[in-house]
Amino acid sequence: MATTTKDIFSGASRGGDAWPEVLSVLPLNLRKIIAGVRPEILCRVEEVRIRALRPLMLGLDSGDAMLTDGGALTDNLHKAYRVGEEEVGRCLQLISGSSIYALEEEIRNGFITILGGHRVGLTGKTVLDQGKVKTLKYFSGINIRISREITGSAGSLMPRIIDREGGTIHHTMIFSPPRCGKTTVLRDAVRMISDGAPECGLPGQVVGLVDERSEIAGCYRGIPRRNIGIRTDVLDGCPKAEGMVMLLRSMGPSVIATDEIGRPEDVRALEEVLNAGVRVIFTVHGSSLEELAVRPALNYLFRLNMIDRYVLLGRDLKAGLVKGVFDRKSIFEKGVVSC
Amino acid sequence: MLKIIGSLMLVTAGGVAGMMVAREYAKRPGELKALLSAIQMLETEIMYTATPMAEAMERVAAGADRRVAGFFRDAALDLKSMAGRTAGEAWQAAMDRFYPRCSLSGGDMSILGNLGGALGRSDREDQAKHLRLACEQIKMEIIKSEEDASKNTKMWNYLGFCGALAAVIILY
Repeated sequence: MATTTKDIFSGASRGGDAWPEVLSVLPLNLRKIIAGVRPEILCRVEEVRIRALRPLMLGLDSGDAMLTDGGALTDNLHKAYRVGEEEVGRCLQLISGSSIYALEEEIRNGFITILGGHRVGLTGKTVLDQGKVKTLKYFSGINIRISREITGSAGSLMPRIIDREGGTIHHTMIFSPPRCGKTTVLRDAVRMISDGAPECGLPGQVVGLVDERSEIAGCYRGIPRRNIGIRTDVLDGCPKAEGMVMLLRSMGPSVIATDEIGRPEDVRALEEVLNAGVRVIFTVHGSSLEELAVRPALNYLFRLNMIDRYVLLGRDLKAGLVKGVFDRKSIFEKGVVSC
Repeated sequence: MLKIIGSLMLVTAGGVAGMMVAREYAKRPGELKALLSAIQMLETEIMYTATPMAEAMERVAAGADRRVAGFFRDAALDLKSMAGRTAGEAWQAAMDRFYPRCSLSGGDMSILGNLGGALGRSDREDQAKHLRLACEQIKMEIIKSEEDASKNTKMWNYLGFCGALAAVIILY
């Protein structure tokens, strides 16, 4: 009798409800190893890293750790379970539901989003076509980033971005280095804006969400599986620049939300939305405003001088901590962008 | 009188037995054709709509001839259970259950097996190559099986009847 996810996690859920979804895409022997990990550790896992011929590793909130055959954490390289070459290929087949052909675009971009909105990053040998990445083959590395819905993670952010006079939110940019919980906070913020937050004096708004990587809403077959609020319309898997304009025209949103703005076309689309009188909330990769200002597209955005709140997240104790909020004035006072 | 009745019974039994054997031979081309059209459906699902494998197999099962639909349904269910099996393994397991119930030859099964090993592992172009190769091979088997069938069905139809007749003559 084959071990299924249900067998491993029958009864009480161990370490959050994300695991059954993650385990179902792992080969059986890896499932068994992870099922041996203690529950209090499982709920702190942020990543599962599977690299061919190297140790199986878990990315925890406190750093990474190798696993033994029995699922115990170890820092001894010789005791660690080593992932076989064919195991990576097998894992990829399970991740794709044996449908690599259906995920050509995703593989070209280097990641696949699985049921539950967990992002799976891929590495291998790239195949080029006229100098551009056509696809990957000989997959060698898989990183499963476990996405967790943390209700209330935007609680400390919300009061600082609400525009009380307008009864809506300010234009907001959330930025932080990777793994600080940008997406988690954005998801919760979208939920609160959409449902309304009476305690902050915010009525519910129609939110248009462009979820290019299916990470925010965790859509499966187009239907959001995460709680993103009752007034949120999601364009799943849509390029941000096109999606924002589509939502603007079609769904009449009061707020448009999206993840990871960075390319010039994203900023151009954002400018169009800003000029249309719709509020925006979005995330950007970067650890400081100065660093962001070096990137030409974002520098242009700063110069537009339309974003009201720049929120920096950090991860001192837990991901999603608001480390600083800057407004329009402080951008110029700090000399990030010269007038 | 009794002799005549006995002879008639013998001839009828011989005839029917011969026809039954002949029908077995005639079944294989039909099953191969059903399989061919099912694999062509699978190719369409993969090539033109990039349907994920489990769903593609389910759709094929819904649309295919009932002689092969069970096979595809079986593989789809296995794949959907997320029990850690790949499409190739689900396909192989479904084949193992399907083989005893069908009239296909070992050679036909190895064509299917080779296709299963490649299913879902590569991009669209490559999948198309494997699917088309399997289709071509099945087409050749259909031609061969039809020749076999026409030879053998005729032979068995006559053999059963004539054999019984010969027995009657000897016994009379």
